[in-house]
Amino acid sequence: MASSISETNFEESKRIKRRKTGDELRDPDTIDHTRWRSESEQRIYSTKLVEAIRQVRRNSSPENKVSSGRDIRDAADGVLAVAAKGRTRWSRAILASRLRLRLAHNNMKHKKARVAKVTGSIRSKMPEKKRSIPALQRKAKVLSRLVPGCRKVSFPNLLEETTDYISALEMQVRAMAALTELLTGSPVDRLTSTSDS
Amino acid sequence: MEPNPGTLAGSISIRSDQEEAGFESLQFREEIQRLIAVPPENASSFTALLELPATQAMELLHSPHSEDGDPAPLSADSLHGISDDHKSYISSFNGNLAFPSNKALVERAAKFSVFASGENSPETSLVPSNSSANLEKVKSEPAETDSNPNSSQPLISDPTVESKTQRSAKRKEREKKGKGCTKKSKNETSKDAQKLPYVHVRARRGQATDSHSLAERARREKINARMKLLQELVPGCSKISGTALVLDEIINHVQSLQRQVEFLSMRLAAVNPGVDYNLEGLFATESGSLVESNFPSMVAPLVCPEIPFNGNRQHYQQQWHFDALQQPLWGREEASHTFINPENSLLSYDSANSASLHSNQLKMEL
Repeated sequence: MASSISETNFEESKRIKRRKTGDELRDPDTIDHTRWRSESEQRIYSTKLVEAIRQVRRNSSPENKVSSGRDIRDAADGVLAVAAKGRTRWSRAILASRLRLRLAHNNMKHKKARVAKVTGSIRSKMPEKKRSIPALQRKAKVLSRLVPGCRKVSFPNLLEETTDYISALEMQVRAMAALTELLTGSPVDRLTSTSDS
Repeated sequence: MEPNPGTLAGSISIRSDQEEAGFESLQFREEIQRLIAVPPENASSFTALLELPATQAMELLHSPHSEDGDPAPLSADSLHGISDDHKSYISSFNGNLAFPSNKALVERAAKFSVFASGENSPETSLVPSNSSANLEKVKSEPAETDSNPNSSQPLISDPTVESKTQRSAKRKEREKKGKGCTKKSKNETSKDAQKLPYVHVRARRGQATDSHSLAERARREKINARMKLLQELVPGCSKISGTALVLDEIINHVQSLQRQVEFLSMRLAAVNPGVDYNLEGLFATESGSLVESNFPSMVAPLVCPEIPFNGNRQHYQQQWHFDALQQPLWGREEASHTFINPENSLLSYDSANSASLHSNQLKMEL
């Protein structure tokens, strides 16, 4: 069957990838960034994505008729984080936040206790002082807010996380675009006109 | 005693690669971890521990000896590096971290002579210097002890120390003088030895060899390396020079990617939820291979999976796919209303990938 063949391919590529990363130093610095481009990774991701979306549909249909885009997006991000195998900080942060949300949700449902939702450090800039924060640091802060879980990460590590995050996001976009195309039968137009490498 | 480190430093100017001898690093990593994990014991057990790395070191010394002379200095290098390691531990035990550099020098010189003579039991010389084997101190201040040998002896290029340092969480830069070979004063190294372990940085010719500037340079190099990777990843960034603009581009790219994900997820949600059980067949194929499009019976209507998505071609393919998809869906009494007209837009997803997906899906449906 196709699945068995895919399984062996997947195993083999996984083995090869493992050997490659085993030879390098097991550093945070030497995470293999090209793994998000591999076929096997895409396959893994699409499988899990499908499963997750189906689950979202199943969960949401008794409550409300329509599964919101937000849920699907969270599911996709969760699956992406799982596919990252926890080697990167942003993936761990995504999974941790989902767990926290689920715990809070369960608490509210069962114990009817009001759990304060932790919304992260939203620093309200009360005094609108025009401080001359160096531009680089400002941009680094913005970037750290974009990448999940990287608020207090040093700059070089932040760059590392961003690299991995960008490759993962690109894979996610590709997979979801293919999925929508399959489902709807029409190609998806990219929002921006940036050409992929 | 004094010239010994000098000559060694002068002779061995090769810096072993950080990724050299991966298996060695593994061995030494385990060794060092074992060293650290062992609770403080008396001197005898420490020397017993020392035996093992010594024998390993001797192996290192002997195995490349069969080859030509070039690896010999390297092995001797690593050997001395290892001895440095343990010597540093010993020196720390000795002076209770009061930086007895003289004592350390003496010990080191003694050990050099020991190794030079090729004796297999360096621990005999270590025993007298071992008052209390405080391995805990080793764990807490490995940088300090490691800096000690470096202060008086600018050569450390062994994979052990490097691997050990790489295991640590935080990094701190250390100089390793190549040609300049200036012996840093003990005070300077003691200052920056308070931190956790370190990476090795070679001071280039004509550059300041100050500890701070070297640390800065190493840090900058790290950042620049990562920025280069990012620039390759983000399209259109390689032309831009300057970190700030590149960062702008990166931020824009990340934001656009996230927006795309949201957009796609909205579309996915908008697809009629009744297509659920249609997902079973569809996505078994999607998750199936992306390359195994060897369904010869199905290839006939398909033009060619490798054709890149031009406007017209895509149009045709889309129509074909469109027809194929409609039938089974109607067969399952589900009409997805989003079967809109195919657009002539380029799909940046792997063209072969999606084309084979079409063929797979067709096979599954029929």
